[in-house]
Amino acid sequence: MVRTTFRHWRASIGQYLLLIAIVAVGVGAFNGIRQASRAASANFGLFNEAVSGRSDFIIESPSQRISEDTLSALGSLASYPDWHLVPVVEGSITALDEKGEPTGQLRLVGLDLLSLANLPYVAKRPIEFAEEESTWHEWLGSEKDVWLGRGTANKLNAKKGQRISILASGRVKEIFVRKILDDRDLSVSDDLVIADISTAQGLLSRKGEINRVEVVLERAELREDTEYLNGIGNRISSLLPEGLSVGPTKNRAVDRAAMTAAFRLNLTVLSLIAVLVGGYLILQALDAAVVRKREETAILRSLGVNGRILFLTGILEAVAIGILGSLAGILVGHFLAFGAVGMFAETVNALYFATSIEAISLTWKDCATGLLLGFLFSLVAGWLPARDAMQTPPAQILSKGDWSPGFLWLRNPRFGLSLIVFGALALLLPTLSIQGGSRMPIGGFLAAGAWILGSALLSGQILVCLAKFCHGFCQSPVSRLATSRLMDGSSRHRLAVAGLVVAVGMVTGMFQMVDSFRSTIQEWFDVRFQAELYVSERGVTGAGSVNGIDPALLDELLLDKSIDYADVMYVCHAKAAQGITLLAGVDFDAWTGFVRQIWLKPPGTIRPSSGAEPALVSEAFARRFDVLEGGTVELDTPKGPKLVSPIGIFSDYGNEFGTAAIAIDSWKEWTGADRPINASLYLADGSELEETKQRLRLSYPGLDVRNARELRDVALGIFEQTFKATSALNAIGLAVAFVGLLLGLFSIFDESASTWSTLRHLGFSPVQFVLSAGFEGAGIAVASLAGGTLSGLAMGWLLIFVVNVQSFGWTLLWKVPLADFLIFGLLMVLVGFLSGCLSAIHWSRRKT
Amino acid sequence: MGPSGSGKSTLLNCICGIEAFDRGEISIAGKPLSALSQRQLENLRRNSIGYVFQSFNLLPTLTAFENIEFPAQLAGVDRDERMDRVMHLLESVGLKKRAGHLPDALSGGERQRVALARALVHRPVLVLADEPTGSLDTENGRQVLELIESLSKEHRTSVLLVTHDHASTRICDRVISMTDGALVS
Repeated sequence: MVRTTFRHWRASIGQYLLLIAIVAVGVGAFNGIRQASRAASANFGLFNEAVSGRSDFIIESPSQRISEDTLSALGSLASYPDWHLVPVVEGSITALDEKGEPTGQLRLVGLDLLSLANLPYVAKRPIEFAEEESTWHEWLGSEKDVWLGRGTANKLNAKKGQRISILASGRVKEIFVRKILDDRDLSVSDDLVIADISTAQGLLSRKGEINRVEVVLERAELREDTEYLNGIGNRISSLLPEGLSVGPTKNRAVDRAAMTAAFRLNLTVLSLIAVLVGGYLILQALDAAVVRKREETAILRSLGVNGRILFLTGILEAVAIGILGSLAGILVGHFLAFGAVGMFAETVNALYFATSIEAISLTWKDCATGLLLGFLFSLVAGWLPARDAMQTPPAQILSKGDWSPGFLWLRNPRFGLSLIVFGALALLLPTLSIQGGSRMPIGGFLAAGAWILGSALLSGQILVCLAKFCHGFCQSPVSRLATSRLMDGSSRHRLAVAGLVVAVGMVTGMFQMVDSFRSTIQEWFDVRFQAELYVSERGVTGAGSVNGIDPALLDELLLDKSIDYADVMYVCHAKAAQGITLLAGVDFDAWTGFVRQIWLKPPGTIRPSSGAEPALVSEAFARRFDVLEGGTVELDTPKGPKLVSPIGIFSDYGNEFGTAAIAIDSWKEWTGADRPINASLYLADGSELEETKQRLRLSYPGLDVRNARELRDVALGIFEQTFKATSALNAIGLAVAFVGLLLGLFSIFDESASTWSTLRHLGFSPVQFVLSAGFEGAGIAVASLAGGTLSGLAMGWLLIFVVNVQSFGWTLLWKVPLADFLIFGLLMVLVGFLSGCLSAIHWSRRKT
Repeated sequence: MGPSGSGKSTLLNCICGIEAFDRGEISIAGKPLSALSQRQLENLRRNSIGYVFQSFNLLPTLTAFENIEFPAQLAGVDRDERMDRVMHLLESVGLKKRAGHLPDALSGGERQRVALARALVHRPVLVLADEPTGSLDTENGRQVLELIESLSKEHRTSVLLVTHDHASTRICDRVISMTDGALVS
């Protein structure tokens, strides 16, 4: 049996290689995305690690900024021989080209370079900061001297001794490349600029302020000794001034991993879809092979081979494809990871925190997961065709005429209806809490899966009903034949429709999601952004680059006579028990007065709890911390734990962590910081908008000054970028579904070989055959469109009202893009028609 | 008539223009097949030839009525005329009450009677019948042969019947024997 099976492989080696390649791409996509997202988000922002080595503890304040006053209180810690202290200041700067245009964002890290030599890691492999050891004093205390890794130097096309213009804290400044660190062992990321701590503070306009102090243990051999580590942690903690805390460095990794948990989960789900569609293609291709080998199988049955053996052989064939494909997929995934890692790092940088790409690693766990996944999906995909092969009758019965056992259970609507009911019940499930306070809408996901599968199973009924309806109107033999074949609703027709329904459901669901998101954001923009001009730090983008603007600079700008009022905003991270969130300082009177918002609950509709700071919170914050109806949330601040209590809830689509906005004075008091993040400018009557904008741009080249339209364009640009992956996935899903349709039609025509032969004897021409096949393909597409659109509407509702609300905590306006639906539908019917024609032409050629 | 492998079915395929022949000539209604293009051969099959298969070969997704109607549709017979012809043939083969049934629901004898009606509906000059009783029991075989005889007379259609069963030749005006691809008598 095995020999006869694998002889088919030799005869159609190209086709089987294609199947192996499909599995390889599916498993590769899963593994590649997994490795790339790990490499892109594993580095949790300790960019100094490449130079100073791994730290064991981090001393930081909740706002991640330590002021000079607090620093002086740390002096007593420095005298202990058990550890070394590494103060770190870091921020984003933007390199400018010769024309003064931003070319790329860089990460400036300031370290105490003189004391670095004492660190155990550096002592083992010294870093040369100057060609001549004797010239070290020349750069000490310099205002501009920096060191670049080879990658950064190549990116900027910079050489030793070169001066480069940069933007930092809203000002144009200059750096001087003292040396390029070429040490091959030094894995410096390609956006890193290293400077002495005072130089970095000067460049970032943050004199006397650092971000954190890292603690490196002297006795590296005790790093894994939990008891020793606990002892050190307690000792440091007892010596810390108020407002600072110490924690193991690995906790920071856990915090950051928690922030990206939802992002990584979404990526995993997306990559699983790649494996799923691969599995669907395997199913269709193996099914086609079963039909092609039907006569041979029937002969084997006549010779006494039982169904069980046939089933096992079919499964063996599928598993062989799965294992070979998975092995290839592990390699494909590793290469794919190199291509995708940059894109993921950009997303993490833009939406979550500053990160840099770590070396992509292929672990044994990756290999095992890939292999297991390919194996399981091939097993499931091979199961149906194997069962079909098992039901093949002996040759004597088969030769009596058309015979199609197919998957008879597909005709039973009970399976589909049960799944729909199961999906509705799943919606009653509560959300599942995952790392960092994120919530997984487990009920929503289960309902989505069950409804889409249920509608796929029920779509066969739609096909039959539609065909019956159309059959009455058909007069030509070609259309009557096509509709009669669809009315019959063979299992293979139903399988082809089911595959397309899944794809159409996903695509139309995503259409609604993207369109609803776009419309909601547009409306949000129209309401929220009423100011004439918006000012922010130039060239700096991303959640990990919350540098803020030099306060003196903004104060100077706000003196401009054209400005009537400025809504200045201050933002920092804050930690609550459920995870990291954002604490904003705003002009509270203006926000509760004339600054417009889309209010879920207008200010004053919720009574604040006594003893807590009144706050206007975003919907994401309210849902995440469960204060939709009021209550308090405790936030860690440099001045100790503080309570905020919502008095109003506004819509905000900027982040999924939530924002609590309090009065600026309180914000400054709690955080000890005074750097604004942006300002919305309302111009005085009679001021000319464009003229003011140009004047401010010229006067403050380090700041971005945009009008509302430009800001809207930038934001929508980011939005479109975010959904690019979704569009690509939609296209892949549809392409796979149509390949599945082609394979399905091949099987259908193979199974109907005697019908076509009869038609030929009756005078049916090849053109009529192709047309009939085209109508059959188009009919399948129409039925899929009907079933898929219904399930797509359900998907849209689920995504907008359940998944989005539960995952990200924001409400969207539901919008069904009818024009897109119509164009998509027409396109689909056309592609269905062409698929039918194409498969008929291919089938005829193969038969002749 | 002739034994298995004598070339009877191949000859029928050559006559209806589905298989090409190396030597000789076949003419139907005065038209030599070798001079016809593929399209003309299709038209010939559509308009001038009816075909009855040993294993019926009804289109499984069409009802008995639709199966019979199908060649008339292909030949472009107008709707009213088509309805009349189909109803008449259904009556002639005794299946008027089974008109709405799919082939799966018909017995072997009934299927072959539908197939016979289908071969005649477009009024061909020649019906090619390839072992029409080969899949039937004696009684049904007898009935089908009688129908072939009566209907061919009624419709004034020539029937070229292929068989290896000597008893079937009783309805034939002329019997030609074949062996190893050659006419022997």
